[in-house]
Amino acid sequence: MDVVYAQPLKELLAVSTYFKEQLIVLVTTEKDEKVAKTNSLIPCYLVSEKTPQSDLQKLSQKKKAVIGGSVSANEFAVRIKADYLLQPSNTKQFFDLGLAKKLSDNKTIVVLMFEELMKANSFERHQYWKNFVEVVRYCKLKKTKFIVASGTKDPLLLRPPKVRESLAVILGLPQELAREYIEEEVKSK
Amino acid sequence: MTSIKITKQKKTITPLSKRERKRYILFEVLNAEVNEKDFYFGFWIDLLSFFGSKGLAEINPKIVLFKGNKAIVKCARGKETELIAGTAFIEKIRNKKVILNPVLTSGTVKTLKEYAKIE
Repeated sequence: MDVVYAQPLKELLAVSTYFKEQLIVLVTTEKDEKVAKTNSLIPCYLVSEKTPQSDLQKLSQKKKAVIGGSVSANEFAVRIKADYLLQPSNTKQFFDLGLAKKLSDNKTIVVLMFEELMKANSFERHQYWKNFVEVVRYCKLKKTKFIVASGTKDPLLLRPPKVRESLAVILGLPQELAREYIEEEVKSK
Repeated sequence: MTSIKITKQKKTITPLSKRERKRYILFEVLNAEVNEKDFYFGFWIDLLSFFGSKGLAEINPKIVLFKGNKAIVKCARGKETELIAGTAFIEKIRNKKVILNPVLTSGTVKTLKEYAKIE
């Protein structure tokens, strides 16, 4: 499975079909969700702390993703039992054993959006990489699922599953686990 | 005056069992047609920026063959995961957006050539 932003869906679908992979598309509106479903992609709502409670209740039966990083965003993801916690590539990431345990209990998948890491220069990249090594270490200890996703709008920035699996391995995840998490089948809600 | 006698030493051949083990990876270049030279530079520069001099020396990648849109790259055994991961950072070769797809890893070039149908 790969997580991407909804943009030129047809091109994204063409590349992902070539890689024989399921695509999860991050959407914000019902219109985007319908488009994703008609293209046989799995929609996932991107929510934040600012999303009104009424909207959150409507989305209770649907897949949800939260952009983490700050303490409050991480807590929000735990509270709403988000399916995906997107870890931004920045130096202000808050991740600890307690959070990893809660995410593991909620079966939330921690996702590294690779494109953000790619955009960074080599100095920033080394700082982000350091943070991610820490996140993976906690995830490994508490058996929280962790995947590296393309996290892009550009179909030519999609990365093959083997490459993303290797990235997870060099971040510290065992090969078998990295493969298992990436190859996991996702059912649309 | 003493004269120095220069003798030619015979080159010793390291036995096969003591040579460093290698792994070969077959990559396919998706989206753009690039020539061997461009591929070589694009491949090298991005890997060097990610792994640094020491890391890349340990991986020891070498392009063995480049034909069509397929490339066979040799690397040290046990470092193939790192090499594959590093290729994720290769975004453009000569301003053409490309995706490098690792197709197969093997211990011999023959297997890869047969798989890719390269002569």
